[in-house]
Amino acid sequence: MYIIKTGTYLDLSLLVILIIAMYYYNKIALAGKLPPLRKIPAIEAITEGVGKSIEENKPVHYAMGASGGQLYSQLVSMTIVALAFLHYIARLCAKYGAKLIVHMPYQAESIPLIEAMVRDGYKVEGKPELFDISCLRYHGYGALTWTQSVTASYDAEGVGLNLSIGIFYSDCPISLEMAKIKGGLNVGGTGRWIMVYAFAMMCDYVFLGQEIYTAGAIISQNPYLLSGVFVEEVGKYYSYILLILGFIAAALGAGAAFFAL
Amino acid sequence: MILSYFTPFEVFAQFKGIATNWVVIISAVTVAMGLVYMTNAQIKMYQRNRTPLQLAYVLTTYFFFFAFLISGLAYPGDINSREYQWWFQNIYGNVGATVYAVMFFTLASSAYRTFVVSSIEAVALLLGGMLYTLRQIPLFQVYIPWIVPLGEWVLLVPNTAGGRGAVVAAALAALVVGIRTLWGKEVTLEVAS
Repeated sequence: MYIIKTGTYLDLSLLVILIIAMYYYNKIALAGKLPPLRKIPAIEAITEGVGKSIEENKPVHYAMGASGGQLYSQLVSMTIVALAFLHYIARLCAKYGAKLIVHMPYQAESIPLIEAMVRDGYKVEGKPELFDISCLRYHGYGALTWTQSVTASYDAEGVGLNLSIGIFYSDCPISLEMAKIKGGLNVGGTGRWIMVYAFAMMCDYVFLGQEIYTAGAIISQNPYLLSGVFVEEVGKYYSYILLILGFIAAALGAGAAFFAL
Repeated sequence: MILSYFTPFEVFAQFKGIATNWVVIISAVTVAMGLVYMTNAQIKMYQRNRTPLQLAYVLTTYFFFFAFLISGLAYPGDINSREYQWWFQNIYGNVGATVYAVMFFTLASSAYRTFVVSSIEAVALLLGGMLYTLRQIPLFQVYIPWIVPLGEWVLLVPNTAGGRGAVVAAALAALVVGIRTLWGKEVTLEVAS
């Protein structure tokens, strides 16, 4: 009996490569020797949006998607990035004195993390007294109730900046466009490529696909998130190599044997 | 979890099954925590805006919350009960369909902004999009039947060819940017970290 399941050898090799890359890049990230990352214009737009909100006396809205609080699926990396952005926007709002409204996802298991991020953001800026728990809005279970409540909030309270980062499904075409119609500056992105079209159409500044991970690492300046950007590239290149080897194996008539590994 | 994926041992698969079930249970139970936050926000909103309309919003929220809760708890473990299904089909389903219908207006609004006809490329995009959309509407299928094969051709020939070109170009660009990032040579733009 084999210890490793047949058909998972290539997956295991990818895992090993990623662990080695993670060890290496974490080490150089902690030593502050990571190569620089390029500037992403949408990050600067967030600060502009906070300024706009203050000038117009309107709140800053933050949404991580109706289903953006997942802590147990393959999309969990987007939840982590969304939390990094939440901490960043909470800090900016505390620093400049803008009102923040956080539209929490219906996956309620992430609520303690969300509250902790916002509280810590205010605390880091030395203004913990400005934190108001009623800024954390839970809209009930389901994307439909979430969409209705979020758009109602845009209408009733106004929108200066609408920052939407995280796991979005068909909730975002409604929420983003309604924020736009209500005069908000839309900045956002999702790692779900199938919904990137909505962000590209409706946002003034967009993070395209995996840019949210890079941007999340840049704004947090967390060495582990920063090194993750490089680890991700290593994994991507290893996948390309496997793909090329697969092409060659298929051309030699050994494709089935290769992909059965 | 990782061991259950890579190894053939049944014990890991069983553990994965139990852990997955508990994740679902914990996730469902934490909704009660959401209710606390929702109540807090509802109270604050009513305090800020003490009008009959706001009170109606608050009461409506809790009326439906308790209606679903009671109809669910009345038949424990049976979400297919007639009562629960009535609430689900006649209230939740219809409200959901209405909200999704709003998406038509938001998409049309954003499409108008995005696809402003200002160049030959925008005209091509607009025509292609119209053909793609209209060929799926029964009214046009009946009165303009030639729109169906034309729309299919646009979808399968120019769209597929252009799409593949774009994907290949994006993949090559990702390779180049990735190599530059890994080697620390991405210096064409201002350094952010």
